[in-house]
Amino acid sequence: MLVISRKSVEHLRAAIFIRDLKAKSDYEAIRKMLDSLGGYPQVKDLESLATAVFERQETDPPLFPGGIAFPHARTDSVSALVMVFATCKEAIPFGNTRVRLIFLIGVPKHAGAEYLEIISFLAKHVRGERTLDRLMEATDLSSFLAAFAEPNG
Amino acid sequence: MDNAEEELQKRRLSPLFRRLLKIKVWLVDRFRLSERQITLIWAALVGFLGACASESFRKASSLLHYAATGSDSGIILSFEHLPWWQRLAVPAVGGLLAGLTLWLGSRLFSSVRQKTTTDYMEAIVVGSGNISVRASIVKSLSALFSISTGTSIGREGPLVQLSSLVASLVARMRNFPIPQRRHLVACGAAAGIASAYNAPIAASFFVAEIILGTVVVESLGPIILASVVAAFTSQLLHGAEPLYKSPGFNLHTQWEMIPLSCVGIVLGFVAPAYLRLLRSAERLFSKIDIAVPLKLALGGAIVGLLAIFNPAVCGNGQGLLRSLFHQGWFWDEILAILLLKLIATATAFGSGVVGGVFTPTLFIGAAIGMLYGQAILYIAPGLRSDPAMYGLVGMGAFIAATTGAPLMGILMAFELTLDYALAPFLMVNCVVAYYCSSIFERRFMYGESLERKGAAFFNQQLAEVNIQDLVRVNPITLPKNATFARIAETFVQHRFQHIYITDKENRLLGAVSLHDVKTFLDRPELETVVIAADIMNEDFPRVSPRQGMGEALHKFSEANSERLPVVDDLSSQRLIGSISKTDIILHLAGDQKR
Repeated sequence: MLVISRKSVEHLRAAIFIRDLKAKSDYEAIRKMLDSLGGYPQVKDLESLATAVFERQETDPPLFPGGIAFPHARTDSVSALVMVFATCKEAIPFGNTRVRLIFLIGVPKHAGAEYLEIISFLAKHVRGERTLDRLMEATDLSSFLAAFAEPNG
Repeated sequence: MDNAEEELQKRRLSPLFRRLLKIKVWLVDRFRLSERQITLIWAALVGFLGACASESFRKASSLLHYAATGSDSGIILSFEHLPWWQRLAVPAVGGLLAGLTLWLGSRLFSSVRQKTTTDYMEAIVVGSGNISVRASIVKSLSALFSISTGTSIGREGPLVQLSSLVASLVARMRNFPIPQRRHLVACGAAAGIASAYNAPIAASFFVAEIILGTVVVESLGPIILASVVAAFTSQLLHGAEPLYKSPGFNLHTQWEMIPLSCVGIVLGFVAPAYLRLLRSAERLFSKIDIAVPLKLALGGAIVGLLAIFNPAVCGNGQGLLRSLFHQGWFWDEILAILLLKLIATATAFGSGVVGGVFTPTLFIGAAIGMLYGQAILYIAPGLRSDPAMYGLVGMGAFIAATTGAPLMGILMAFELTLDYALAPFLMVNCVVAYYCSSIFERRFMYGESLERKGAAFFNQQLAEVNIQDLVRVNPITLPKNATFARIAETFVQHRFQHIYITDKENRLLGAVSLHDVKTFLDRPELETVVIAADIMNEDFPRVSPRQGMGEALHKFSEANSERLPVVDDLSSQRLIGSISKTDIILHLAGDQKR
């Protein structure tokens, strides 16, 4: 099991969870997730964050086998790492890939190591079929995070 | 599996590659090879190749000597068995051939200049580290004719020239930037001296003290390594015996320390006169308006004339030195050969023979030291002095006083004799001789060849050397969408600590640091999710060729990196190469001499 730092655990606990996100496109899905960050104290400029995330999507959309997307950006429009998790009962098209689980991450430029740690942690755990199923079944952030604590399968 | 997943699988690293990557990161972390360490490897190679080049010259010289005299003995023995006319003719014809080689060479190749026999010094101190192949071959061939036929000139000149040439070629083949090229040529020069005298420590300090004018660890380390490798290579071929083995000395009374500590004073005052003699001979020959081949033939003929009376005058003086220390010469014999050797060396040097005066100078110092020892024995017989001991100390003191390099003098005389009992006397006398010589003389033996280039040349070089000269082109770059797998692969394939990220127009966007990502390199889950744009440092310091050396150093202190990217200018940010901290340090170390 991958061990992560206390700071990363705090970031995970502070994340926003959206159950059963509905959207017709990747743009719409990401936009909805970004909007959920409105008023979030760590977000200094939501529009700049959105621009950075969409730019990153255009460069090379970060997708993972099993229908998982990691839209993210390193930008100074956030003062600390922010995350929004979303499950989608109806898969959303991200290009050719049908996505069921989305992890949106905003990282300040200076927090490169934190970013790699978090993304590595998430990506490693979602590889397991059982973890993926448990994440999809989560009803709130606690049950979502609890899925990571259980053994992979 | 859908198309996207197949694509992702393709972009992943194999488990074996990941394991290799982990090992490499571990190795890099613990045994990080910086530019300096890589230079050491090249220095060792240059040391070996330099010794091979020196050995080839020695062999060629022996063959030609046999062809000229019909004897494979040493120069002096060969000349002793020659009839008088041949003693005259052999050096004269040798001089003629040496001169013809130079004359033809200068006709065919503009890079061949007759007078300068120390190209390697210019290449190290003021040049680009490039030594002309044609000029080196022409000069070495010319030196081969002179040395093999008995001219009183040292063969360390061509040995060092060839060894430096090999180093310069290696540096050019590897496309090293100017400072590193110059540094490698310095290693080559040291290797040449080390193999010529079996004296690796002195060779290192010869280059550091005389050529570089600085003893900076940064530059000295590779020079030492090249010298040691060259000396070991020569020892494999010729044995590890010192060149002039000391007969072994004991002070019969502690009072002898007083006269023994004063050899340096005598030699320190004689050295300026010797240097002026060499310069006067040079001026005298320059006034003789005849073609170069005839001038060298005349120089050879004068040595030949002296050889009719005393064949010991021929050659560089190496055999003579051995005989001097071991065969108990009388003072009048020493005085006679000293005077003849002075004339022969000044003639050879003045006529423009390609070669060195290092060994002849060692002999002259030893002979004066022995005469001084004889005088002490005569004045104070109770001391029971051994003149050979004074000769050995005099040898070191005279070389220190004429080259202006006391440290090298101490080490050279010590390594040539390997007699530890001499060491304290060498230390005192070399330093004293240098200080005494400095009262009358500021232009020492090798500094002169550089001074000839003139202050304007130095200033011009100094003004011309800028960041542009130190740039290494074609740095390792990746696009901003390069996957983490590709970044990891690139770090495995290259030893750099940073990969520069550029756009399609080759504009620098930032740099990915191995330090930042090394703990994540073995995480397969990141290979397709993370790209260069996610982890690059966009504010990574960079320099432009328009900036000064001071600004570049300041940027290095900001970046904590061995190398920095160089962009054509700070507004367009187009990447043209990279510059390394080691290159700047070597460049500055080289500049101290100026």
